[in-house]
Amino acid sequence: MDVVLPKLLLVAWLMPLASFAVISIAYSVPQFLGVKVRYATQKYAAYLAIGAIVGGFVLSCIGLFGYWLPAHSLHAASHAEGESEGAGEHALATPQPIGKNSVRLVAFDAEERLEDHSAASGIQHAEGSRAEHNNGPPPSMTGDWYVLGIFGSLRLTIGYYIDTLTVVMFAMVTLIASCVHIYAFGYMHDELHDYTDHEVKLADGHHLHRPGRFHRFFQYLSLFSFSMLGICISGNLAMTFVFWELVGICSYFLIGFYIERHSASTAANKAFIVNRVGDFGMLIGLMAIWTTMGTFNFGDMPGENGATQAGIFSQLHQAENNYKIAPTDGMIAFEGRNRIAEAVRNAGTTEPAAMQAAAATEVARLRADEPAKWGHWVLFIAGVGIFCGCVGKSAQFPLHVWLPDAMEGPTPVSALVHSATMVAAGVFLVGRVYPLFSAEALLVIAVVGCITLFIAATIAVTQMDIKRVLAYSTVSQLGFMMLALGLGGWLAGLFHLITHAFFKSLMFLCSGSVIHAVHSNDMRQMGGLRKKMPVTAYTMLVGCLAIAGVGVPFLAGFSGFHSKDAIVEQAMSHWHHNARSGVSWLLFVVPVFSAALTAFYMFRLWYMTFAGEPRDHHRYDHAHESPRVMTGPLVLLSVFAVCAGWGLPAFMPGPLANFSIPNLLEQARPVGTLISKPGVYLSGLLIADEHIAHEPEMFRAIKMPAGIAAISAALLGIWLATEVYLWRRLSAEKLGNALRPLYQLSWHKWWFDELYDLVFVRPTHAVSGFIAAMLDRGLIDGIIHTLAWLFRGFAVMVSVLGDRLVIDNSVDGFAEKTWNFGLSLRSLQTGRLRQYVMFLVVATVVLFLVAGFWKLALAG
Amino acid sequence: MEAPIYWPTFFFLLFSAIACAFAVAVVVTPNIVRMAFYLVLSLAATAGLFFLAGADFVGAMQLMIYVGGTLVLLVFGVMLTSQDRFISMKTSGFELGVAVTLGVCLFVVLAYCARSIPEWHGMKAKQVSAVPLEPTAAPLGMGLLGARVDGPDRSGYLLVFEIISVHLLVVLVGAAYLARARGKKNLLVE
Amino acid sequence: MNSLVLASLLTEPVGVSHYLVVGAVLFVCGVVCMATKRNALGILMGIELVLNGANLNFIAFGSPYLREASQTLGLDGQLMSLFVIVLAAAEAAVALAIALNFYNSFSTIDVDRADQLKG
Repeated sequence: MDVVLPKLLLVAWLMPLASFAVISIAYSVPQFLGVKVRYATQKYAAYLAIGAIVGGFVLSCIGLFGYWLPAHSLHAASHAEGESEGAGEHALATPQPIGKNSVRLVAFDAEERLEDHSAASGIQHAEGSRAEHNNGPPPSMTGDWYVLGIFGSLRLTIGYYIDTLTVVMFAMVTLIASCVHIYAFGYMHDELHDYTDHEVKLADGHHLHRPGRFHRFFQYLSLFSFSMLGICISGNLAMTFVFWELVGICSYFLIGFYIERHSASTAANKAFIVNRVGDFGMLIGLMAIWTTMGTFNFGDMPGENGATQAGIFSQLHQAENNYKIAPTDGMIAFEGRNRIAEAVRNAGTTEPAAMQAAAATEVARLRADEPAKWGHWVLFIAGVGIFCGCVGKSAQFPLHVWLPDAMEGPTPVSALVHSATMVAAGVFLVGRVYPLFSAEALLVIAVVGCITLFIAATIAVTQMDIKRVLAYSTVSQLGFMMLALGLGGWLAGLFHLITHAFFKSLMFLCSGSVIHAVHSNDMRQMGGLRKKMPVTAYTMLVGCLAIAGVGVPFLAGFSGFHSKDAIVEQAMSHWHHNARSGVSWLLFVVPVFSAALTAFYMFRLWYMTFAGEPRDHHRYDHAHESPRVMTGPLVLLSVFAVCAGWGLPAFMPGPLANFSIPNLLEQARPVGTLISKPGVYLSGLLIADEHIAHEPEMFRAIKMPAGIAAISAALLGIWLATEVYLWRRLSAEKLGNALRPLYQLSWHKWWFDELYDLVFVRPTHAVSGFIAAMLDRGLIDGIIHTLAWLFRGFAVMVSVLGDRLVIDNSVDGFAEKTWNFGLSLRSLQTGRLRQYVMFLVVATVVLFLVAGFWKLALAG
Repeated sequence: MEAPIYWPTFFFLLFSAIACAFAVAVVVTPNIVRMAFYLVLSLAATAGLFFLAGADFVGAMQLMIYVGGTLVLLVFGVMLTSQDRFISMKTSGFELGVAVTLGVCLFVVLAYCARSIPEWHGMKAKQVSAVPLEPTAAPLGMGLLGARVDGPDRSGYLLVFEIISVHLLVVLVGAAYLARARGKKNLLVE
Repeated sequence: MNSLVLASLLTEPVGVSHYLVVGAVLFVCGVVCMATKRNALGILMGIELVLNGANLNFIAFGSPYLREASQTLGLDGQLMSLFVIVLAAAEAAVALAIALNFYNSFSTIDVDRADQLKG
């Protein structure tokens, strides 16, 4: 398995790249060179891309069910079912395959560490009654495929870190991407002939007419899938960053697919630039990690001569320390560098080894004496820095503004961006580097997620553009995920990521189907479409029920019910553990309120679109159900949206036993998350262990109120939406007027765009305008113009004096002389044979005479 | 002091006189047909000089190729190209004068060179009579086939012989091509 | 010295220089012939004379009767003169062909009329 699985995933990963390359070479390059690509052949590009991604999905499934699960069997303990799980089971769940290209390290070599661990463990606060047994690293495989470069001790590699999360993400991403690919085959058929873009008006009043770009769409989709899979399988942060940016550029291409539309090109720019802001923070995080840990690898890698090179995770969570998070020596040395320098000076030696020993002793002393003081700040910076990148990618407050604008891309792209690829990347990365986050960093994540989910939910309530409602809903749901991750609910957050991917892609594809039918995004022009397009309507309804989290409490429900329940439970657990702080209830109340808003705006969307009477009869009459190639993926996704939260019982055969997404994810639980993390700087803070919420004794305190709150919020939201938009007992206009300021706030998206425009864009414009006018035009242009004037004068002088007088005269003179010489020679060429003979004779005689004279002169 | 006449020298003087005299006659006569005739005599006399120098085969070739072949060719040329009988094209006296003057100068230079080397003035009669009289046809044939019999370190001329043969063939074909009548093509077309 | 040579002209064997002088006469005659004749065939004859003069020189240099055998060219001289004869024949053929062609084109063989390539 440890040989086959990486290769399997490698092939699954590279297949979209191959598809991208083939389409580029076969279609885009000829088109770029001016060859007209026939539309009939562009279909084959789509078949190729679809084949690649479906093949990737099949390989991922083979990897998951054929190789991973047989080696790592699932255990029945699933906290989603409310059962308690003993810590000892995690040791069982940790198999020990050690292959030649996979390294598993449960215990870390102690010899390499210099400090006293028993002293270092004093950093941890007393844990109360909880068992002091933490979980070790999850089963994983690591290795390098290709070394990009070695700079000193920095190895930049294309490597892999495969754990259950990777495999699950592979299956999820390829599945959704496959659905989107197939759907797009129907959706994008407009591009299979010359395309008239009705949203672009040219200067002469006509609409833009351009060749179709069917193949290019699939080309980008392939690259997009490849990049996202690269993030999933990436074995180190440097590689992650590379694919991170690749995902960014792909989203840029796809959002700006209708590049001729001004709104599309600006939206693409906005997405790209806003992401750069987040990536700047991520770069800082990368620098902090590199400086203090000396590696970018997630897992442990085989080093030179059999030793292992500890990855980020095992450097921070050591077995001697009960896998609790502790700053590395590098972090302590970085913060206490003045103290260490002093200690080395005091040691009074100039021998390098002795100086190093003195420094190491000082580091150990700092760790022992003042455990709470040293190293945590860098750890916090590293975590928050990485999280900054995720804020940009996953559209968290305050960088959420790009995501709604990204609706300018074709709808299948929106579905992919919003579910499986772009925004999922941020949440996935937070989940991936979860062991890196200290308690304070996690709190930052939770707060950011909480703000995001609230703002986005309030905005979504009033939007009229069907895709914008979904976009803000995505932002809000991403906030839920971040909140869950930040509150210690690693599994809850990633579980929600996966369930959300299913129902959000479903809803986006449904909205695409609607837009395809009515040629409008505006919900005020829809209504009653249920009768015209039943498949779309009812699959959409499934999606709405799933995102609202409808289900029977403590039993079963739509997929969103399970994941949202887990999040709310974790929020409740957090409140329970941090009741003293006085504000921790906000992190529970706001999500629950937003969950009600979620249910409200989703059903508002459904009622306005599919129920009631048609508002625009012209559009209604032309509406029609989409072709099967589009409805097929909808049905498939709706099945997943319903049952992604369910699990299979234990008596199922083979790898299917106990199969459920939470169980799968539980297997990949990051190292050191089974003990609550106490804050270092915020002494009252405790990031609760996720399993506490499911312990039977906590049922009354946490699980029951959380479950009831979640389901009642959902039902309340649905009821309110039904009241207003279906039964119309309450008027939406009156409500809007009654809550005018709130309505305005929501309708204008909290004036974020205006605020950023005022705070960042306009000052930048002003400053750059000033600089352009003063510095550029005034100073630099002045200097350049003066220089140009001087050079021009000089050049004129040189041209008159040097060129015309000297060079022209000499060249002309030479040419004239040559000409005249040729003319004079011409008279010699009489064409008379006899004269030539005479010349020969004369020449001979003269030669003899000269030779004779020479001889005489020499002899004389 | 009166020495007997050395007869080879006598014949040398005779043949050279004929050769030189008719060469001058070729220059002097304006009539093309006479020129051809004088040239024949001059070349034949030269063949005699070759025999005197011991080159029997070359002399024979001189007679056969030059006198027998080349000059017949020339006479044909004369007959083909002369519109009027005995046509003559006069050269101006000035040109003639200049040419003769230059010719005399060239002759003086050449003769001076020829006489200026003592080793070239000839051997004694005894030395000459000591040289055996040998036919040269067979050694020449061997030389043309690549084997030298007169000296081991001298190279043969097989390659040159071959090249000359091919060259001759090419020249004859080319000459035939060049000389064919122009109008024939037009006749064919009509 | 010269008078001595003239005196012994009939009584002594001739040497290379005698042949060279005769060759020079033929050569100069050929050259003058080329320089003065306007008839293309006359020029051809001049060339034949020039070649013949040169041939005579080759024979003289190769002859064992005219100077010490060790200094002579041996058979090389005769071989060279053979080649010259052959080439002269070839040249005569080509030149005659050219002359005929020229005559067909211009109805004359006056070489002074053949000046179309004049610069």
